[in-house]
Amino acid sequence: MIFMRFDLNPMMNPKSVAVIGASRDPSKVGHVILQNYIDAGFDGALYPVNKNISKGEKIIGQTAYRSVTEIKKPIDLAVIAVPAPAVPEVLEECGKAKVKTAVVISGGFAEVGNVELQNKIVEIAKKYNIAMLGPNCLGIMDPASKVDTLFLPTYKLSRPKIGDVSFVSQSGAVGSTILDLIAKEGFGLAKFISYGNAAYIDETDLLEYLMHDKQTKVIVMYIEGIKRGKEFIEVAKKVSKVKPVIVIKGGITEEGAQAAHSHTASLAGNSEAYEAVFKQFGFIRAKDLDDLLYFAKVFSSEDLPKGNRVAVITNGGGTGVLTTDAIYINGLKLADFSEETKKELRKVMPSIVNIRNPLDLAGDADEKRYSDALSIISKDENVDMIIVIVLFQTPGADSSVAEKLIYFKKNIDKPMVAISTGADYTQTHKLMMESSGLPVYDSPNAAASSLAELYKYWKYKNKIV
Amino acid sequence: MEYEQAKSLLEKYGIKSIESRYIEDIEELKDFIKKTNGRVALKAISQNALHKSKAGLVELNVTIDDAEKRYNELIKKAKKYAPFKILAQKMAEPGIEIIIGGREDQQFGKLILLGLGGVFVEAFRDFSLRVCPITKYDAEQMINELKSKNVITYNGKAENMIIKLLLNVSKMLEENEIKELDLNPIIVRENGYDAVDLRIIE
Repeated sequence: MIFMRFDLNPMMNPKSVAVIGASRDPSKVGHVILQNYIDAGFDGALYPVNKNISKGEKIIGQTAYRSVTEIKKPIDLAVIAVPAPAVPEVLEECGKAKVKTAVVISGGFAEVGNVELQNKIVEIAKKYNIAMLGPNCLGIMDPASKVDTLFLPTYKLSRPKIGDVSFVSQSGAVGSTILDLIAKEGFGLAKFISYGNAAYIDETDLLEYLMHDKQTKVIVMYIEGIKRGKEFIEVAKKVSKVKPVIVIKGGITEEGAQAAHSHTASLAGNSEAYEAVFKQFGFIRAKDLDDLLYFAKVFSSEDLPKGNRVAVITNGGGTGVLTTDAIYINGLKLADFSEETKKELRKVMPSIVNIRNPLDLAGDADEKRYSDALSIISKDENVDMIIVIVLFQTPGADSSVAEKLIYFKKNIDKPMVAISTGADYTQTHKLMMESSGLPVYDSPNAAASSLAELYKYWKYKNKIV
Repeated sequence: MEYEQAKSLLEKYGIKSIESRYIEDIEELKDFIKKTNGRVALKAISQNALHKSKAGLVELNVTIDDAEKRYNELIKKAKKYAPFKILAQKMAEPGIEIIIGGREDQQFGKLILLGLGGVFVEAFRDFSLRVCPITKYDAEQMINELKSKNVITYNGKAENMIIKLLLNVSKMLEENEIKELDLNPIIVRENGYDAVDLRIIE
């Protein structure tokens, strides 16, 4: 039996949702949230709550209530978007109405020094056994269960398609930026959770929940601090064995700078401790948001490699050279093609193609040359991973090459990524390949560093030094 | 924690420190030099000086011939860090200096550190860090992460010895109330080591 502090299922897959603070005024957070639920096509029961309306009134076409206690039906989730001072009373009413979970969107608590008010709502949540997320958060988005508590209008913030990457963010701002970027990339989202002040439900609870969540294949976390360090470690140990966790830590705090009496304490401060924990328990560390997206898409679509030997296929010599450099810089190496591979390649390649790794297919390479190269190289036992460079500016590189790469991506079991750099024509093909599950990168370093993280995670899982 | 007390705690966990003794006067020093057969190091131990060598509180390679002169010089320098005690240690065989340390982290508990030691610690900041208790795999990774890996392990030959040291220190940190620990330096040789300086803060 798995022991978790909270049952988060009613929050993530609710059958009934009350939006408290729902409003007719489109500039109000409560309006946007209700509208988003309707836009997302949420098919459970939806109850707008606003204490200032008169009985029987409707908000955006939904029958509204003055208090959750008037609803008289089971409520899985209450989304609370009322001014901070009103939250305790509203939460108290949720307790009386036996609401199972609550997301407190409202700000104005510990983040502005109002610790007392925050403690008060935690007490109420505890008293009524309400699993409470927030306050001061964006809440949850789950394209599959059509939950969307975000107060950012869909016309301003694109929503990603359904996928297998779940994203947990302490910060709402970083969270929503990444959501927007994910929507632009080819991969999809399982769950987005912005947990704000973590007054009750914290990062450890969410990590544990996502570890068991079947939709989630990859977990991405933006963390500023960890509340329960030792419990976090216990969960971290287990989760890395099951699925990859990509983490970015914000805020290099200098808490450790209190007068150190030893060399150790002066070297190993607070942010070093976080780094150490992430490293020790197999988390994949992203140094910035770019990394975060690069790694998320490679982990989402690729299986783990069984070594660090990379084959490079290119239609541009220079990009091949840069990719070779990036491979070594990131701790990977070029594969030595087997004699069999070389023999086969010689048979099918024109004489201008030098049979070596990186394999430069030359500037006139077309769909057939890529196809021949990939079918031979993907079978080579000396090759663990493949990088295919397609410069779409060349005459032979067109949609048929992109289609071939998608075909191979689906039919070979080694990790394979592409590099394509360029403007509109390239971007169109990039999107085409990405939405078919082939990660495409703009730069050799982005591609190599992403594959390197796959390799490192494979080493961690297999305890290879 | 007192030096002798720290030394015996380390011994309990199989970590041997170099032979040493507090001395009260020059006669005791001469005795110790004769007994240890050659050269000793003299250190003034004071709560008020974290960096002994920086503060000039260390005399190395003291022999029976210059013992008196250097003992007096050290006492003179140590006066401004009073109160202090004088520790005499057998000179360690030459080797590579490493640091193994630990500290209690409010968030995550006990941490253990391995790095290139001695005076290079802060200059190069070549160290790795883990949460206790560590596994053998963690210890291997800690060594692997260091730029000075090949130097401190003598190209791998001293690796098992360092792994064992790390595992023992991790156990000690876990089982005792230790806020901060510095074993800096531990002088590592291809087939042995000496912990020549210990600092444990409870």
